[in-house]
This record gives sequence, structure tokens and C-alpha cells, in this order.
Amino acid sequence: MTSIDERLFDERMSRGRMLRLGAVGAVGVIAAGCGGSSKGSSGAASATGKSDKAVTLNWLTWSDHYANDQLAAVKQQTNEQGRPQLFSDNADAYLKIKQTGSQFDIVSGDALWVPKYNKDGLTESFDLSSLPVSSQLYSIARTFPFWTDGSNYMGYPFSWSTVQIYYNPKFVKTIPDSWHAILDPKYKGKISLENIPTDMMAIAGKATGAKEPYSMTTAEIADAKAYLKQFKPNVLKLASQNNEVVRALADGSAWIGITNLGTDDRVKDAGGPLVKPAYPSEGTVGFIDSEQMVVASKNKDAFPRFINAMQQAPYIAQNFITNGRPLFNEKAYKMLVNQGHGDRAQRLLYNQPDKALKMTLKGPSGNEQAYTDAFNEVFGA
Amino acid sequence: MSLPGSSPGVPATQPADVALPLGRPGRRTWSSWLGEYAGFAPALVLFGVFFLVPLGLIVCYSFWQTIDYNVVHHWTVDNYRYFFSVPTYVSTFWATVWVSFAATALTLVIAFPFAYWLARYVPKQYQKVLLVLVILPFWTSYLLRVYSWLTILGPEGAINRFLHWTGATSKPVSFFLYDRPAVILVLVYLYFPFAALTLYASLERFDWNQFRAAMDLGATPGTAMWRILLPQIRPGITTAVIFVFIPILGEYLTPQLVGGAKGVMIGNLIVNFFQGAQYTRGAAAALLIAGLIVVLLAVFRRSLEVEDPYGT
Amino acid sequence: MARDLDIVSRRGRLTRSALSVWAVLVYVFLFAPIVLLVVFSFNANRYGTFPITGWTTKWYGQVFHDYQIRDALTTTIRIALEVTAVSTIVGTAAAFPLVRSRLPFRSGIRIAMVLPIMIPGLLIGVSLLVLFTSVFHQTLSPTTAVIGQSVYTTPFVLLLVAARLQGFDASLERAASDLGANTFNRLRYVVLPLLAPAILAGALFAFTLSLDEFIITLFLIGSHNTLPIYIYTQVKFGITPEVNALAALLLAASLCLMALAFVLPGIVRRALRLVPRRAVT
Repeated sequence: MTSIDERLFDERMSRGRMLRLGAVGAVGVIAAGCGGSSKGSSGAASATGKSDKAVTLNWLTWSDHYANDQLAAVKQQTNEQGRPQLFSDNADAYLKIKQTGSQFDIVSGDALWVPKYNKDGLTESFDLSSLPVSSQLYSIARTFPFWTDGSNYMGYPFSWSTVQIYYNPKFVKTIPDSWHAILDPKYKGKISLENIPTDMMAIAGKATGAKEPYSMTTAEIADAKAYLKQFKPNVLKLASQNNEVVRALADGSAWIGITNLGTDDRVKDAGGPLVKPAYPSEGTVGFIDSEQMVVASKNKDAFPRFINAMQQAPYIAQNFITNGRPLFNEKAYKMLVNQGHGDRAQRLLYNQPDKALKMTLKGPSGNEQAYTDAFNEVFGA
Repeated sequence: MSLPGSSPGVPATQPADVALPLGRPGRRTWSSWLGEYAGFAPALVLFGVFFLVPLGLIVCYSFWQTIDYNVVHHWTVDNYRYFFSVPTYVSTFWATVWVSFAATALTLVIAFPFAYWLARYVPKQYQKVLLVLVILPFWTSYLLRVYSWLTILGPEGAINRFLHWTGATSKPVSFFLYDRPAVILVLVYLYFPFAALTLYASLERFDWNQFRAAMDLGATPGTAMWRILLPQIRPGITTAVIFVFIPILGEYLTPQLVGGAKGVMIGNLIVNFFQGAQYTRGAAAALLIAGLIVVLLAVFRRSLEVEDPYGT
Repeated sequence: MARDLDIVSRRGRLTRSALSVWAVLVYVFLFAPIVLLVVFSFNANRYGTFPITGWTTKWYGQVFHDYQIRDALTTTIRIALEVTAVSTIVGTAAAFPLVRSRLPFRSGIRIAMVLPIMIPGLLIGVSLLVLFTSVFHQTLSPTTAVIGQSVYTTPFVLLLVAARLQGFDASLERAASDLGANTFNRLRYVVLPLLAPAILAGALFAFTLSLDEFIITLFLIGSHNTLPIYIYTQVKFGITPEVNALAALLLAASLCLMALAFVLPGIVRRALRLVPRRAVT
């Protein structure tokens, strides 16, 4: 890294530290300001103030949805301790919630998985407006049609990202702005991406013009499979964790990565070259995720208060600085701009949440078995 | 296979009876019978309830279907039929067997001299310490160790940097990573302590004086090793092979991390089923492989047999 | 005794030195990735890889403030100790009938005992999950995880002890019995001490396998966390060198424990010698 980069890096880190300390104080002030008086309306669970007894909320989620000091501060403030357990993909989480009933209180889910959880009676909708913090969200995030359940909402929106192409301009001379561009034989063994069969089939579906990439017909699946067969020689590695893709791009073994927003920053942080994003003309897949309330949970009353505390703008802003992908909290965006992170936020599309709806949203596939079969047949030995 | 109770060249003089029953010698009473089989009791509970019953469930799963992420109790042989309807699974399985075989052979070749050294030349009081030192690296996470290998084998990794520094190559060699050889190498690394520990446990009780006796009788060291040492530690070698070969057949994480798209093993394909919650297909695949291994073991069961070189 | 030959014969000496060199190489091979692992725990690079972007101890600081990772660690060790205890006892106990009794289908039973190693952990995990939740209606907890892991680790102990027991010189037991030892004493003074290396090896195996066991545990542990689960599920953004730091700390702790275990008996013995003892009557 050049010395300028190092300085920016250090500045970002120390600013982050200050922000975090400030956040604890800020949230304390906010809480004192609006939570002190009312204990919530009678009957409905209060979204503010302190819980009467100490509660632990078991939270099945991804590692970037929280920070440890955030959990500690929220516990101080609300007497509710979040206890995360991580999972790798939605199907795992879905089955876990199904089998373990009341052992989890909150579960995070992607886009079209949320309605599935809800429909199958695993999670419960709630009134979004009863959480004061929801006013900090972009209005578009409060009105996703597929998450609306009458006057209730199925989950509290958190973050989003596209899955797109990042390329190293040193080796890749023409911008790969199409899913077909990456089939070029000159990229043999130079592309790295995460091993998520369903998503890869969906991308292949987008490339071959499937109408609904997550619910393809048999013919569309066959086309997608043919695309992947062509793609296979170019694949260097199917990674199990995102940082492997970053590392491959950083040390030059991969020239192209198919991965989430913010990879360019991560590759730079890993001491690698500057990679650039490219948005395929056929469109991308992507996710938007949310926090959902588990039906069988014994602490449903604690959910609103916990989410209200966790989703406050200072924490979300800090989350952006740490993880570098867009979120749905508009107030946090304004805070980031004020602190000089506006450029980065804009580059990562934070202030364009409408782009989230232009992606093909991740969801359960209509015929997972056929997807996995096709994928395995391509990537087997 | 010689009779138990005989050693090479010496005829059996004892009845081919088995070891002492755990009761008063010579009497086969009800209590001694109980004492003999009592050891099975806890294992019976553990395996009977917590393995065989779930195994039955797995077998049922393999004949059912998964629709919309739920297991549905429709009986079908479609899962099994599927694995033979496309060449992928059979060819991947053979590739896996080949990799597993190579890794096992390599592991044993490396582990045997080491275990020999440890059992024979190291003073008794240091043996345990050195043994634990072998296993110590394995108290760190598997993932971390394989990630370390990535940094050693990768284009900016230790090996390439060394080659570059000595001037042997001008640009990074990518041979070391993201292909089968890398998978075999890392697997050898990961399974080495299994083999070393097992071989050590077997070699440790070998009476090295037998070598002297053999040499006094005119044998060369090679003959002594072949005809005296190896037959006596054969159970240990067999166990070591079981501990290494069979788990490697099911490996998926190492192939995924260092094998790239070219180093795929059958475990990767099966894991994809489970990731997508297709437990029924996954169960059928896993049972097929387990079945094949059982067949292998049954064919080679004579080498698993209890040959009791000391006799009773 | 057995070493005379090596000192006397030239070929013996050569073999011995060659094997010592081999052993050193083996240890280098084993520890090279570990050394790198520790190096990266001081690397400012969040991705735990080359290049070294700076030296820092911030990851160690994070470990000490991260209650989650500490919670995962204590759960992991607790489970590992319980699994080791269960597997060692069950495996050793079952090794005796397997080797010594006149069971008709011994090799068949041996193959059956090896089955848990052959079945992928995923399947063991899923089926036990269904068993516990749908059949027994138990809540998942570290205890259910211990059971699941034990199913997987016990065959290792069993096979190790059985392999050792197979070549066991039964005349030793017979001699003890002739001298008046009953079953219990025979076990205690003759059999178990001689089996000790294999039992120790088995226990080490079980402990090591349990420490890093991820798949079965993930299904059966409910809402708790173990270290492997914490590490392997960081899929979206990947692990940070905080994990390296923790691993380095654990390694240091294990090394200290080992050194202690090695040195302590000598110290204790010397201390006891200082204490005046009554004459043995």
C-alpha cells in the first residue's frame, strides 16, 4: 500500500474507534431522550426503555449483522443480551428454525426466504411503525411488496448487496460487462467465486435469459447448465468463505471475482491491487436481508426493544465502515457523509437503495434438487 | 494364515482357544459369560440407540423425496437410480478413491519411519512428550491450518517466493495449488498424526530383542523387519489405513480450499446436496459410498482378522 | 539393551541418524504452517495472509474483549473433555469382548463398529437431530452434541485399543492368575498398564477429533457456539486473524501444560523424598 493509502486506512480505523465510543454515548443520550417516559402502550410490547428482567435473545444470523461492543452497549441499555449463532446459508437456517422451535428468538433471512419463513409459520410479522427506529430507514425499504403482510411487515430490513463482477484491470483489458464476457477462454483458471450452487445456477439463468432465475423450468435449467459447463474451465476456485475470493484477487491468482459489493475495498485492505466493479448487462442477482421474529420464541416481547436498540444509526454507520456494503438506514448514511465517508458510501451505492429492487432477489429455489443435480453434474470430476 | 498360537516355523502347541475369559480360568459359568460380554454394554447403548436407529432413519431418507425443502415420505428408488444415470458421480468417486489411496500410501510411508524412530530410539520418558507434540498442531482449527498451506503454496506464497529468490523461476508457478497434488499434500499433512499415533501404539509394545535374536540366527535386518516386525504390527497398520483412507474418502473441505475446480472429490458433491437441504439425495449418495467401503472391508476382512501372534 | 546393536554396528548407527533426520523433517513439516499461523496473528492484514501489511497485537486485544469467542472456547473444551471421557471408557470396554470373546461374526461386528467413521458427519448430524427433536423431544444442548460426537470418536478409540489388545501376551495374565490375582486385579495391575499407551493414544485421538468437530456439532448443539462453529460459519466475510490469535494462545497454553506435565512428576518425586517416611512393614 502507498503511504497515502496507509494514512487513510489508519484514519478510517481510528475514526471508527472514535465513532464506536461516540455511538455508545450517543445511543445512551437518544435512549434517555425518548425512552425514559413511556413504557409503551398497554398490551403491545414496548420498543424502548429497559426490560424488566434480563433476557437473552438467541439470534441466528450472519457475522456482519452485529458487533460485540454493540451487543454489550445494547445490553446495558435495554437489559437484553443478544446471543448470535452463525449460519452459512438460508436453507440451513430455515431447517434449523424448523427443527429447534423455540431455541432461537431471532433469525436473519434473505429477500424471498422471508416470505417463505412467514408462510410456513416459522416467523411472525410485526408492525414496523411501532419501532421508532424504523423512521430512520429509507422509505423504499419500509414498503417492499414481498415483505408486506397486511399492515404488518415480515422482517426488519438491514442490508443488501449485488453479486457482481470485480476485475483486475492489470490483466483484464476489456471490461467484462456481460455474463458471457467471462466465458472468454483467455480467463482460463482465473475466476474465483463462492461455492453456492443455487446462486451460481441463478447467475447462469440470468446469463441465459431465464425468466425467474430462482424458479427455472427444466429447459431453462438445461440452458443454465450448458452455460456453467462452458464457464467451468475458467473457474480457479469455488470458495467456502468470502475472504478466500478476496485473497485470490489480492495475490493475483484470480483476475476476476464474482462477489459482493465492497470487494474492491477489501482487496485493497488485503494488500492487493485495485480491482474494479463491472455490472453485467443481463443484470445481477443479489440479496437484501432482514431480521425476523421467530414464532415459537419465548421472548417475543423482547424483540421490538432489541431491534430498536440495535438498528440505531450510529451502529449502522459503524457497521458500514467495518463491512463496506450498503444498508437501509438513511440516517446512518447522512452520518457517514458528515464524517467524510460519503464518497465510499456513494461508490458502494448506499444512497441508491432502489438499485436493490433491480436485482434478481435471492430466494428459495422452485426445484432445489434439479439445481443441485445440474450443478454437481457440471462441477463433478 | 497360520493357526493362532503358532509362530512361523513353530507348530501350534496350544489349543486354538481364545484368551482368558474374564472370570475364573477354566470355568464357563453364567457370571463369567456375563463378564466376558459386559464390556459391550455401554457401546451397545451408544451405538444401538444413537447410531443404528439414526442409521435406519438415514436409510429411510434415501428412499424418500425432498419437496420444497421438506422431506416427504414418498417411497422411491429415484435417488439411487440418479447416481448411476449420469457419469459424474462414478467418475468423481474413482478420482476420490485414487486421491485417497495416494494420500494414504504417502501418509504411511512418512509416518512409519517416524513411529519406528519414536518407539525404538527415543528414551521412554520423552516418548509421550514427542507424541503429544505431533498432535499439538491439530488443536488449532483445521481451517486455519489449511489456510496456512494456501499461503505456502500460493503464487505469493513461501514456495514460490523461495523459487523466485533462488532464481529458479521468473514468474509464479501455479502448479502447487488448486489441483489434485495440492489436495494430496494437504491431506497427508492433516492425517499424518492419525497414522503416526496408531503405528506408534502398535510399535511401542514390540520387543526389540527379537531383532537381536533374529540377527544372531543369521537374518539380515531387512528379513528381520519383514518376517518379524511387520506381521506383529499388522493390526496397527490395518488400523492406520482405516483411520486414514476412509475419512479421506469423505473429505470435502480440503478439496474445496486447495483443490480449486479441478480437485473436486465426491464429498464436495454430497455436501452440495446438504447445503441445499436435499437430505434424501445426500443420504442415498452417502449410503452408496459407505456400502462400497463395507464391501471393500468385507473383501479384505481376512487382513482385519484377529491373528494372535503370541497365542494363548 | 536393544540399543547396543545400534551403537556397535555401523549400519545401525547410520539407520539411527537417518531416522533422526527424518523425524526432524517431520516436525518441521508439521509445524511450518503453525509458525505461519502465529506470524499472521501479528499481521495487520485482516485477511491473515501475505503480504505483511504491518505488525500489531490488536487481534490479541480483540480476543480478550470478545466474550463470544471465549464462550465458544469454553463450550468447546467442555464438550471435548466429556467426549474424551465417554469414548475412552466405552471404546476400551468394548475392545475386550471384540478381541477376546468367541463371538461368531467378529469381523462383521468390527466392520459395524467402524461404520460411524464411514458415514459422513452430515448424515449423523441430521439423523440425530431428527431423533432428538422429533422422537425424544429433547432440547438441543451441548449434551446432545457430546452424544453425537461420541458416536463418531468412539470407533477410533475402540480400534486403537483392540489393535493393541490383539497382540497381547495372554500368558502374562495367566501368570498373574496363577499367582492369585482375581479379574479386577488382573485388569488393574497387568492388562490396563500394558494397554495404557493405546488408551492414551485413543484418548488423545478422541480429544483432538472433538476439538475441531464442526458438522455433527452444528446440528446438535442448539443455540450454543463452539469454536469450530464460530470459525466455519463466518462465511459471508470470512475469519479475521483474531482466530489466529486465539489459536496461538491455545497453542501456548497447551505447550505450557505439556511442559508442566513433563516437569511436575520429577518435582513431586523430589519433594516427596524430602518428606520423612515411615518404614514399610
